[in-house]
Amino acid sequence: MQFEQVIGLEVHCELKTKSKMFSASPVTFGEEVNTMVNEIDMGMTGTMPVLNKRAVEYAIRVCHVLHMDIDELLCFDRKNYYYADLPKGFQITQNQRPIGRNGYLDIEVNEQKKRIEIERLHMEEDTCKQFHLDDFSLLDYNRAGIPLIEIVTKPMIRSGKQAALYLEKLRQILLYTDVSDAKMEEGSMRCDVNISIRPYGSIQFGTRTEIKNLNSISNVRKAIEYEALRQEKVLIQGGKVLQETRRYDENLKETIVMRAKGDAVDYKYYNEPNILPIRLDHQWVMQIKDELPMLADERIDKYINEYGITSTDAHILVTSKEISDFYEETIHYCQEYQLVCHWLLGDVQAYLNKVNLTINETKLTPQYLGKLITFIQNGTISSKQAKKVFEEIMDSGKDPEIIIKEKGLKQISDPNTLISIINEVLDQNSQSVNDYKSGKDRAVGYLIGQIMKKTKGQANPKQTNQLLMKLLKERISDK
Amino acid sequence: MITYSIEELHELFKNKKINPIDYYDELFNEVDFQQERLNAFVTITKDKAYMDLEDASFNDLLSGIPFVLKDNYNTKGILTTASSKMLADYVPIYNATVVDLLKDAHTCLIGKASMDELAMGGTNKSALTGPVFNPWDLSRIAGGSSGGSAAVVASGLVPFALGSDTGDSIRKPAGYCGIVGFKPTWGRISRYGIIPYASSLDTVGAFTRNVRDMCIVMEAISGRDDRDMTSSNREVPHYLNDLTDDISNYKIAILTSVSDEIRNKDIQANFEYVINTFKQLGAIVNNVTIPIELMRSILPTYTIIANSEATSNHACLDGIKYGNRQDGATVDEVMINSRSDGFGDHIKRRFILGNLAISSENQERMFRKAQKVRRLIVEAMNKIYQDYDIILTPNCGSIAPKLNEANDDRLSDEYIILENHLCLGNFAGTPSISLPSGFVDGMPIAVNIMGRLFEEQTVLNCAYALEKALGFANQYSREG
Repeated sequence: MQFEQVIGLEVHCELKTKSKMFSASPVTFGEEVNTMVNEIDMGMTGTMPVLNKRAVEYAIRVCHVLHMDIDELLCFDRKNYYYADLPKGFQITQNQRPIGRNGYLDIEVNEQKKRIEIERLHMEEDTCKQFHLDDFSLLDYNRAGIPLIEIVTKPMIRSGKQAALYLEKLRQILLYTDVSDAKMEEGSMRCDVNISIRPYGSIQFGTRTEIKNLNSISNVRKAIEYEALRQEKVLIQGGKVLQETRRYDENLKETIVMRAKGDAVDYKYYNEPNILPIRLDHQWVMQIKDELPMLADERIDKYINEYGITSTDAHILVTSKEISDFYEETIHYCQEYQLVCHWLLGDVQAYLNKVNLTINETKLTPQYLGKLITFIQNGTISSKQAKKVFEEIMDSGKDPEIIIKEKGLKQISDPNTLISIINEVLDQNSQSVNDYKSGKDRAVGYLIGQIMKKTKGQANPKQTNQLLMKLLKERISDK
Repeated sequence: MITYSIEELHELFKNKKINPIDYYDELFNEVDFQQERLNAFVTITKDKAYMDLEDASFNDLLSGIPFVLKDNYNTKGILTTASSKMLADYVPIYNATVVDLLKDAHTCLIGKASMDELAMGGTNKSALTGPVFNPWDLSRIAGGSSGGSAAVVASGLVPFALGSDTGDSIRKPAGYCGIVGFKPTWGRISRYGIIPYASSLDTVGAFTRNVRDMCIVMEAISGRDDRDMTSSNREVPHYLNDLTDDISNYKIAILTSVSDEIRNKDIQANFEYVINTFKQLGAIVNNVTIPIELMRSILPTYTIIANSEATSNHACLDGIKYGNRQDGATVDEVMINSRSDGFGDHIKRRFILGNLAISSENQERMFRKAQKVRRLIVEAMNKIYQDYDIILTPNCGSIAPKLNEANDDRLSDEYIILENHLCLGNFAGTPSISLPSGFVDGMPIAVNIMGRLFEEQTVLNCAYALEKALGFANQYSREG
């Protein structure tokens, strides 16, 4: 029997606002534990939530990109349950009225467009982070209260590959709308998978399992592929798939039962009495749409059509928003669109790979890169020299202009200077001139070498070559 | 030397008629005496009071004035128990907004007052430190849940104390103790930092011994707080400055649905006397009703809404971060053991009820239905407010009960309506003041005056006129 996979994804994403969802503590990552915390994050009795307007703005940005209906009456609910990582004993979330409904995201599967419908997007607050040790657990409240959005698809994903494509696309949107770091490995983007299988042609849904704790897009894919096979085996052997929550074990490459759905909790949702419904200003909601940052697809179009970059290069440029942003800034300083692109994807990328840093962690600035490329372009330095200057920028963080001066790297491009140097070399190497005359082209290479030696490599290679040929020909015809 | 009102004490301090240190020395002698007598304090903050006193210039009305907080106000560095074993050792890391406001006014905190555990109750008998005794008759309750605050003010110790009012927790004990108790509009005063009971009903309010003092306190603690999103941006009026006893042409509605249930002849006569007094003051007085089904549903509606909100408001008290902690083999066990040990039985019953009402299988027919009934009741009140400025009722049907008296007959309308109607002000979030109107069997009794949302001034004016006409301002009972 052939089975069809029915998959729905729930993605939680931490928003990179300055402060938390309902308190003034800063949103941080990697700070010393329990230092970015106030009485609200700790769930101290008597505290009250104050909604972060920026978080609402970020949620609306994503809603717009996902073509969602935005509920302009903002309502929050309490989700009541007891858990060590939940400071207040309830989480403030949006149950009854999510801010976004009925959206979609198009992905490309085997060069065909597939529309993934999105059921809802809602806002909530993060819990604190738990570290489980042998016989005790530690809690870090720095994470407690960080704004989250949860994006839930309809069950219309049909394979691990589709799930991965959806997540990649979604991640790109979260990055390009500038609302999140969206790092799965650091937990700022998290994905839960709901998966069931059914015979092709069947309209009914099979019993689904939920897979949690997935820390990369590739693990989402692997987990789905494993779980679909597992369910298939169960059904073929005449068994029943149990409704349960499972986790993916990276080492075993298997999904493992965490808990049965039988002990499902009743969350007793009800309206949060300390946040009265808020009527959003329609103008503001639309203004957020007008001011949306340019997304990856739009950037690709611009790069190809306005800047004349190849489609392949344009796609590679946008795979990292940091690189794409860097590119856009560099071309303010230097309009050599192709050359800037080649530098970023070539030398710069190679360097980043070697030192394992992101571009913003290095000493390179768009201005420096722009200058460097301008110097190559106007012949001030040779490409070979440029590589040296680049290395020096990365080491010292100095302005390329200063590096060129300090190292005396300036290229000799003045024709009169070059002619007198070349003539000197030709006078000293009459044997080579004779060799050239008798058809030995090798002599040219030798002569160039001598010129470079004399100028300590500063002679403009292209001009030197042209002038040398011209002068050689003159000497031959003279005699 | 004690028992002065805010205005009197201010004049005395400002004109150097009394030495503040001498005054506080005598005050704390009296505190010890009254604590022995009334058991109204959980914590006496003597050192802090003297420290606060050093900052006082006595130039402003509240500067240097002693006061008391109900023990559900978070006070940084000062024990805050809400009279619960769960919080018996809880020392907050932050101040409630109103605590900061009163600090800015250079008032001097002399102590934290006993209350019903977590403000759930009307007798103050459930306090961890034991019952609070009524200053007028030590065999009787002070009422609750703000019983300690009421008793302290009624004994003359301090001119004002803060309480909190979810159903009638300020106004009921104010009436039993013969003083003024006021709950302004929901949203008029920040609730940030007050250990909650039911957020949609909870209101910060105060006790004083006269209406003028109430105006002073209200002006100091009202206003928008960016830490409480439900607090109003409306400007705070100058209540004292604008106070008038001219209430001619005020339209007063007698809610006979309540007053018809009075069974005590003396209270009945007193209420009629109050009505006549208002007529003589030039007010236009008429009878109004609210349908009996709605009146009977006040108590169940309140019970469901208040306990449902309370159950999640107190979910933070899990023994994990602070408060009473009892060990267990798992996290769940720690929480269960801590909460089982930390809360009184009546609290646990209320939590069970609240959980029942918001559980998904019951929520529609219990919690949401209660919210709907609440709206119907508020609509009925708003209908009255279309024609009237004020709704007048007796405060309740009896004098303060004896401590050992059994509960009232809970099925009679006398109990169901007459002992619970003050919730109307919490349902609608409207200002509501109780003030003494006379004595029955040597015990004070009171009436209640309610007005429209944010019309505190109207309510205060009306109370002021009545207070002047009846002459029960500034009463206290120090001995006996």
